[in-house]
Formats: sequence, structure tokens, C-alpha cells
Amino acid sequence: MKLHQLKSVFVSSLILLVVVGAHAAEITVFAAVSLTDSLKQITAAYEEESGDKIIFNFGASSTLARQIEEGAPADIFFSADEAKMDGLEKKDLIDATTRKSRLGNSLVVVVAADSVLQIQSASDLTNGSVQKVALADPKAVPAGIYAKSWLEKQQVWLMIGPKVVPTENVRAALAAVESGNVDAGVVYKTDANISKKVKVAYEVPVADAPVISYSMAFVKESKQSDAAKKFLNYLDSKEAGDIFKKFGFSLRN
Amino acid sequence: MVAAQNPPPAVNLTLRNISLPLTDFTLALDVELRGRVTAVFGASGAGKTSLLELVAGLRRAKNGFIQADKNVLLDTAHGIHVPIRLRRMGYVPQDLALFPHLSVKQNLLYGFKPDAAIGITFEHVTEVFEIGHLLARRTASLSGGEQQRTAFARALLASPQLLLLDEPLASLDSKLKARIIPYLTRIRDEFQTPILYVTHESDEVRALCDEVIVLERGRCIRQGHAADVFNSITLF
Amino acid sequence: MTSEEWQIVWFTAWVSALSTLVITPFGLALAWALARRDWPGKSIIETIISLPLVMPPVATGLILLKLFGRRGAIGGFLHDKLDFDIIFTWRAVLLALSVMSLPLLIRSARIAFEEVNPRLEQIARTLGAGNWRVFFTITVPLAVRGIVAGMILAFARALGEFGATIMIAGNIPGKTSTISLAIFQNVQLGEDANAFRLLGVSVILAFAAVWSSEWLLRKTRHRQ
Repeated sequence: MKLHQLKSVFVSSLILLVVVGAHAAEITVFAAVSLTDSLKQITAAYEEESGDKIIFNFGASSTLARQIEEGAPADIFFSADEAKMDGLEKKDLIDATTRKSRLGNSLVVVVAADSVLQIQSASDLTNGSVQKVALADPKAVPAGIYAKSWLEKQQVWLMIGPKVVPTENVRAALAAVESGNVDAGVVYKTDANISKKVKVAYEVPVADAPVISYSMAFVKESKQSDAAKKFLNYLDSKEAGDIFKKFGFSLRN
Repeated sequence: MVAAQNPPPAVNLTLRNISLPLTDFTLALDVELRGRVTAVFGASGAGKTSLLELVAGLRRAKNGFIQADKNVLLDTAHGIHVPIRLRRMGYVPQDLALFPHLSVKQNLLYGFKPDAAIGITFEHVTEVFEIGHLLARRTASLSGGEQQRTAFARALLASPQLLLLDEPLASLDSKLKARIIPYLTRIRDEFQTPILYVTHESDEVRALCDEVIVLERGRCIRQGHAADVFNSITLF
Repeated sequence: MTSEEWQIVWFTAWVSALSTLVITPFGLALAWALARRDWPGKSIIETIISLPLVMPPVATGLILLKLFGRRGAIGGFLHDKLDFDIIFTWRAVLLALSVMSLPLLIRSARIAFEEVNPRLEQIARTLGAGNWRVFFTITVPLAVRGIVAGMILAFARALGEFGATIMIAGNIPGKTSTISLAIFQNVQLGEDANAFRLLGVSVILAFAAVWSSEWLLRKTRHRQ
């Protein structure tokens, strides 16, 4: 290469670097805790490609929604149910045009890996050998609300309600089962997949369970409109979809 | 009434090979005390209080043997150390140590063990010490003399084998001293209880005691009858 | 206030009172030993006792979870041999409150015991009293102000306990829900009105506890 060509390549690379560097954004995503592992993997690839940085706040969707209502700095909200998203939409806190129902999931009953309990139906949970059942708080957390809805439909909620140990979020319910301090727990299938310390005792048939729908949207108060919407689109892409499926989620669109 | 044929009770205290290290010196004693009221005389810091505490069991000697009457209280060679509560020593410290949270009556009854044969009953002792009208009072509200009499009475009401008095008159003025001394005489005569009496005032000694030992820097330098002892040594 | 809220208040009050009663004999014995005796390893015991005061309550809760869970050293034995569970039951609340408030009782009681003139105890012994009698008739009455202050402090601490409780008892409605846990949950659910009602009750309870401690101390002051 001639010297002046070298120089222009150098200068334009510098400009490109500066431009890209100047546009490297930091996006905060509030996401349901059941999405922890899948989202982390999806983001690894995205951060490389885009140069943007994604910061996560994982938690129970109910807690996250509350935090957003109180003004917490989220750019994207990814909830484990539609209800929490509805709540925010009603308060005009999310951009409804960006809202998408993205994922489905299913429920399972898990027991500790070394447990000898046999659960083959919802009513097996009413047995005397099951003294404590961990659920994400059925008053608020989507996973718990889904579980309660299933148990009500099976007409065993009245007997099981008193055995319930409500936990902060669905991963806490999983941890309770892993620790052996409860006899069983109802969590998402995707949660059971990532834990070696529990085994699935019973898979709730789709027909018995309520419809599980994860919803994502752009938060209006965000200051990173472009970067956030770009990431939202990426979450909607095929690459992301493949990773979600790998972890056990189903795609709703 | 005490039977006339019994000999008046004496201190009967034997201390052999006592070794008790103190701050500046070691208390080293090898004495036998046989008086009815034995004075332990000496300057401040000579080890007099430590001696009383040893006999009461509040201090433990490194080595030694202590016997009061027929009771062995300490025998380090054989690992014997009789606990305080079993020694029946009536110890009245210099600060009297009356229980501030209890009434006079409760103080008096704390270790009460009557011995009617020698007149140790609640009514008689409170009468002799003239504290019957103070029973409901708090000890802190008593005058100096009243507190003194209460402390004596409390110790006496436990029917001790031996009374250990640490400078009982030290904080009193001469008028009060003169009034208290008769009570001590009555303890000796009426209640037939021997007394080991620590003091640094020779006047008291002469009045009350029939035997004196003199301590200096933890050692007994003189023992005998009051008159003999004080004629042969320089007074402090 | 709903009946569930009254149940939460009642539960918090009685389990806090029970924890204070439970820790008192053990706490006084330990405070006395620390005040009057010396032994090799004493400073280690002193440090361990102070840990719940200094560590984050959730950290203490974590230690309790590992010890008393079904797989833990103590909890495992209780579960396997006696079919007895502590974690996620009201007994876990009792345990959390006791552990977190014990150091406060011990601190106050120890100082109170140290201020009792040992000479008075010795004189009591010369009057024939054995160790138990000396303790109950001389030491404790003279230390009672500090002991009572310590118990009230422990009770107040128990009323407000959160971190260790949520770790080992969870927030099970009707079973382990205390005022602090309920306030937290109500805030999370956006039920601010409920939270404020419980907050009000909590203030009243704390006020009553402190006021009665002042009253008790005034009473005992006269006796001395």
C-alpha cells in the first residue's frame, strides 16, 4: 500500500472507532429471574457484535414491575406474565408499540434429586408425605400465580394451600427444593433444566396449566431509546429464539 | 443460762505454715490463738485483713493448715479447702457489707441459725443490740452506729463458731466507740462467741482483748497477753 | 385492620415475648460466667456471642439455615430421628429472634453483674448461702435494672427482626408472618396502605416496650 492510502485507512478506522465508541450504550434490562441463564447467553453474543453493554436486574416480575413504577432506571422490561406488563401499560410506563408476547413455558413439580417421593398428579401433592411445597409467592409472582391457578383447576388448592412455603421468586423456590427443607416445589420446566440437585417428578400437562406467556417491552422513561429498541429486536430474532428454545422455552411468535 | 462448768469458749485457731503472697510481701504465719477475744494488731497493710479473709475462706493460701476448734478448714497437703458457706465464720468487714436491697430485718435473717442455749434468738439479739425498732428500715438510711450494730447482729444470728471483726470501730468517733464497745463485751460474755479482732488502735485492744498477736509485713512478731505485749514493744 | 393483620400482630408479639423468656435463663447464666469467671478461650466465646450483633442479619440467617435445615448438622438429626422440623415453621421465627436478640441481653446483664459488689456475694456465703442462693437473693436483685433493660432491649429487637427470619422461616401467611415481613411484602405488592397500618402498630408496640422499661427502671430505682 502507498503511504497516503495507509494514512487514510488509519484515519478512517480511528473515526470509525470513535463513532462506534461514542455510540457504545449501556442498557438496563429488568427481566424475570427464570430468564437468567438464557438471557446471559444471548447477551454474550450481542455485546460482542454491537459494542453495547447490557446490565441485568433479575427478579420476580412483580417486584420488578413495582420498582419500575417507583422510577427505577430500566430500559427494557421482560416479564414472566402479561398481567405485570398490563399493569405498567395502564400506567403508561411502557411503549405499547414495542410490546411483544415472546415466550411460553411449562410447569413441573420438582423434588430433591435424592428424594423418593412419587408425584404423579396434582392430588399426590395432598399426601401426608408431602409436608411442605415451595411456590414463588402465589399472591404476586407469576410462577406462583400460574401454579396456584393449576392447583385450583385441579381442585386441590384448599388442601395444598396450607402446605405452601411462599418464596421471593421462582428460583428461590427451586433453591428451597434443592436444600431439602421442603418436600416438593412447582417451578418452570426451564428452571428444573438448569439444576442438577432436583429432578422432575411430574410434568404438568399443557391442558391442565394456565397459558404461560412472557412479555417484553421498551420502558418509556428510558434514555437509551435507540440502543434499547435495537436489543429488543435482537431478542425477537431467530438467533435469540434458538437459544431460548435450547433452554426449554417455547416461542409464541 | 450457760452451765458454769464449761470453760468459756476460746478462739482455738491454729494456723500452720501459712504462705499467702500479697502485693508487697508474703503472709507467713505459724501461730496458735487461744484467747476469748484475740486482737490482731499491726499497722495498715501488715496483712491483718488478709488473715481474717483466710480464716473466713475468702482467700486461699498457697500452702498451709488452718484449724478452728475441731474443724480443719484448710489443709493444702491433703487438698482440703472447706467452702466459705460451711465454715460458720461470722465475718464483719470494715465496710460492714450490709445488703442494700434488703431491709434490716431481711439482713438479720439472711443466715439465721438460732442457738437458744447461748441466747442466739432473733428477739434476744435484736434486743441486746437495740435495733428492734429499725427492722423495717433500709440499711442505707441507718446512722453509722446503727449500721455497725446491725452488722454485728447479722453475723451473730448465724451462730458462728468464731466472729471475725475487721476494724469494727475504725470509722466511729470516740463517743460512738464508747457506746459500741459494751456490745462487743456482751458478745463475748453473753453470747459466748469468741472473737478475732483486727485493729491498729491499742486502746481498744487493752479494753477488750485477752490475747494479742502483732503482725508486721505479714509475720507475727509478738504474741501474748495485752499488757505484756504493749509494755514490750514501741507503740505505733 | 383485617383479621389477618391482627393475627400477624398477635403472632409477632407473642413469639417475641417467648423468645425473650427463652433466652433469659441461658443469657443470664452466660452473662454471669463472663462477669465473674475466667477460662481459656473466654475471648472466643465473647466474640461468638457478639457476632449476631455485628454480622448482617441475613448472614446469621444463612448460618442458621445451614445448621438447622433438614440437611444440616442439627436440623438433620431432628428431622431424621425425631421427625421434627424447624426451618419454615414458627419455631424458625423463635430461633431467629432468639439468636439475634441474645447478644443484647448478655451485654446488658453482664455489665449489671459486673457492677454488683462481689464483696456482698462473699458475705452472703459467710452467712451460709450456697451459689444458687447467692445468685438469686443477692446478685440478681442488685443487677435487676440492667437485666430488665437487657430483656426489654432484646424484646424490642425481636419485634423488629427481619433478615434472619426471612432466611429461615420465610413469610408463610398465618404461620411465620411477622410485622416486619408483612410490611416488606406489602410494599413489594404495592399495598402501601396495609404497610402503613402495620407500621403504625409496630410503632405503638415499640413505644409500649420502651415506656414500660422506663417505668420498671423507675420502680426499681426506689428500692435501691
